[in-house]
Order: sequence, then structure tokens, then C-alpha cells
Amino acid sequence: MNGAAWLSYSLQDFVMFGPEVFLRLFARINQDLWPWLLLWPLAGLVLPWFGRQAAELPRRLAMALAGLAWIGCGYLFLVRYYGPVNWPATGFGWAFVVQGLLLLLLKGRALPAPMTRPVAVSWWLAILLLPWLSVLEMPDVWALALFGLAPGVTVAATVLLFARQPSPLRWLLLVLPLAWTLFSAATYWALGTFWLLGFPVATLALLVVAFRVNPSPEQTPDSQSVRPGPGRQSP
Amino acid sequence: MLELSRRRFLIGVGLSGLAVASPRLMAAGSTPGEQAFHSRPIPSTGESVPAIGMGTWITFNVGGDQYLIDQRTRVLETFLERNGTVIDCSPMYGSAADVIGAGLDKLGAHDRIFAATKIWTSDGSETREQAATSERRWGIDRFDLLQVHNLLAWQEHLATLKEMKAEGRVRYIGISTSHGRRHRELARVMETEPLDFVQLTYNVLDRESEERLLPLARERDIAVIVNRPFQGGSLFRRFQSEPLPSWAGEAGVGNWAEFFLKFIISHPAVTCAIPATTSVEHMQENMGAMYGQLPDASQRRMMAEYVRQL
Repeated sequence: MNGAAWLSYSLQDFVMFGPEVFLRLFARINQDLWPWLLLWPLAGLVLPWFGRQAAELPRRLAMALAGLAWIGCGYLFLVRYYGPVNWPATGFGWAFVVQGLLLLLLKGRALPAPMTRPVAVSWWLAILLLPWLSVLEMPDVWALALFGLAPGVTVAATVLLFARQPSPLRWLLLVLPLAWTLFSAATYWALGTFWLLGFPVATLALLVVAFRVNPSPEQTPDSQSVRPGPGRQSP
Repeated sequence: MLELSRRRFLIGVGLSGLAVASPRLMAAGSTPGEQAFHSRPIPSTGESVPAIGMGTWITFNVGGDQYLIDQRTRVLETFLERNGTVIDCSPMYGSAADVIGAGLDKLGAHDRIFAATKIWTSDGSETREQAATSERRWGIDRFDLLQVHNLLAWQEHLATLKEMKAEGRVRYIGISTSHGRRHRELARVMETEPLDFVQLTYNVLDRESEERLLPLARERDIAVIVNRPFQGGSLFRRFQSEPLPSWAGEAGVGNWAEFFLKFIISHPAVTCAIPATTSVEHMQENMGAMYGQLPDASQRRMMAEYVRQL
């Protein structure tokens, strides 16, 4: 097919399912995993507390929780539930699993410095407010898009961590979130589920927040590796 | 309890015998309005198929959602109750084939349908494998119709489909396109290949097929399946709030679904239109287009002019 032929397609021509099918994915996965699904948002709530600790071990744990969230929404939501109606979702799902494993393997490099307060607050706002976007589209509390299961919330929150990484790791970790943001925005637009566009918009907004209030590690050295200046000499 | 009079008994026996002898004739009398339904012969064999079939693009791709699978099964049941037989799908449509298969299983209706699907792979050597996979998903032994989807690798697939037809692995073969694309290439295939069916987009607004493809299909004795009869639903979004023309009743049209569908199936080259829906009520409306009077040539012109003016 030549380029002109491709241009004759609209976004809707590439979406092979209806909005009802997509919105019910949230309700179905929540009902199927009840009550164990509560572990995911709970993990999301405590993650910033670990991430703000000065010691390295809790920060490793924070990154591990983020990794498990990526694996959870990659395998469960994208591969198992979304993939059967939209084949690119299966590819994204396995990519999410790989990214989750990468986060688990990062170990000490996970969070080079403790999360700042604005980043932690942004995180909590993301995982507490964004889940309701899907409920606005499908008025059913079962349709909550939960952190660790729903990719929109998981991606939006975790970009706050990825932006904290040193280059080039930061950009490596941001490739998939940005690809997902683009893909999901196109899908929501084609489906006409405009409230869900809040997920990609929030992802980009949080990325901006992360870069503005949370300068890169090159600019803010790890407290454990900083060389004390003359004014900060220990007695 | 109702008493069974001798007269009622004799009528009942007579009708039962008629039903056994000619299920289609009996079915025609059991429909709303007691009107005969419109069927069309497949030119290559003369076998008749109902003029309204069922598409499954988007509508039957519901994944593993049991609630929606059951709901789509009710849509399928309504289609079959209204004497529909032609069901069209494609491997491209995600889980639609599995949902059709689940519905046919539940309704025990595998032998009541005209099963049509497509070959959708750029690998020209995968024709048989993909057909077998689709058969397994539908739960049928063989398809009535296999079509090359959107002319994808059509030379290789069509060569294999011709072999399969000769072996009795499929009854009819064809080729499909949609959205009015690649008509020139489709026309070349129709001119040179022994096709039973073509599938193309045609509706009251998208009428490019009238110029070349529909006349060519008549000339070459090729059956025509029409997809996107509602332009993917946009015809309803644009016109449903408008009144039907005052002369609609004279053309056998009682609602907009009938307006759009009767315009299509009244074209002499069209064998079958395949609207898709997720709603039982809409399926009933769609199947209503298969009954009653059809617009004649002058009324068809008026229909096209009416929507153009709107």
C-alpha cells in the first residue's frame, strides 16, 4: 500500500472494538481480582514513603514496587484482558513486563536520591485522582483504573521516578511511557472516550513536573556521595 | 388448556408438513407483517442467500467478556430468527471469530448459516493454515465463502483458494475491499479471475461502485457482498434526527435502517448487505429491510437525492 492510501484511513479505521468493550476491561479485571487488587493501590500509596527515605534499601524497595506495578498492568491488563480485542496491546503488555523487570534489576541505581516532597505529592494525587477518569466514562465504581493494573495511572505516576534517573537510563525508561501515551491517546480519541484522554495528558504534565521540580541527578548529587564543602564540615 | 378442534388439528398437520418440506417458505410466513423476504441467487451456482447478512467488524470483538458474549449471542439469535444466514468475519477482527463460535455453539446453529470469512495475512503461504484456524474458532468443518481480505497478497492466496475450492475445502471464493479503496485493482482481478464473490463498500453516499464494479459484477456473474452499508454508523449520526421523506412508505421504507439497506439491496447487482450491530433492537430493524416492497429505480434516485439535500 502506498503512502497516499495510508493517508486515506482515519484513526477510527484502526480501532477494532467499541468503547463499551474497552471500558468494561477495567470493571472486569477489578471484579476478577477482588479483593487482592487492593494490594496494588496500597503499594502505590506507600511507595513515596519508601522513596523519600535517605537509606538506599527503602528506595530500592520503592523502585521494586514500581517494577511490580509495571509487570502487573503489563501482563494482567494488557496481555490477558486488552490483548484479545486489540493485538498491539499484547506487544505493549510484554514490553511493560520487560520494563518492570528492568526496574527490579536496577537495584541501587533505582532512585539516586530521595523523592522530593512535590514529587511525592504529585504521585499521591496521580494514583488517587486519575483512577476516577474511567468512572467518569463508565459510571460504575468497579471501573476504577487502579495503579498497578491500569496502564494509564501506572505510567502517569511512574514517569515521576523515571525522570529522576541519570542519562541515558532516564531516556531508555521514558521511551515506553511516551510510546504508550501516544498510542493510548490515539485510541481514546478514536473511541470517543474523551475523559480517558486525562491519562496521557496527566502523564505529560507529571513529566514536566518531574523535570521542573526534580532536577536530574547530575544537578543534584546523591546525599551519600556528596563531597562536603567547607561550610558543611563535620565537627 | 386450549381445546384442539378437528379443523385446527388438520391445519396444524398441514403446516407441519409444509415446514418440513420447505423450511424457507415456512419461515417467510413467520415474519413481521407476514411478508416474503428477499433473497438473491449467487450467480455462479444459482443458490439463494438472504439479501441481509451480518457483519461483525468491531461489534463482535468483545474478547473474553462473558456478559458481552452472551449479549452478542442474543443479537445472533435474533438474526437467525429473522431468517438471516450470511455471517461475515475476518481474522483481522480480533476475537470476533471466537465470539461467533461461542454463539453458534450455544444456539446449536452451525448448520443454519452461510459462513464467510477472509484470509488476512501478507504471507501468501499461510492461506490453508489461516482458514483452518478460522474453522476451528467458528466450530465449523468448512467455510461457505473464503475471501482475500483487502487484496492482501491476493495472487498467492487466490491461487490456493482455487485449489481449495477444487478439493471441496470451500464452496465459494472471493476477494474483498472496503472504504472505496483499490477499486481499479479490484476491477482488474474481477476481469481476469474466476471469482464467485466480491465484497465492497456501497451505500447511499458512497456510490463509486456504481460506475464500474457493480456493472462488472453483473457482467461477470459475480455475487456482491456490500460492507459498511451505514458508513460505519455515520449515516445514522448524520440523518437519524431528520424525517424520512413523505414518500418513504411507497418505497417500502419504515425507518432509516430500512432506508439505507433497501437502497443497497435494491441495486440489481447486489447479492447481500452485511450491516453490523451490537443491539438486538437494531438487528430487528436491519432484518426488517429484508421484507416488503423494495424501491424501484426512480425511487432509488429519489433516495440518493433526498440524503444529498439533507
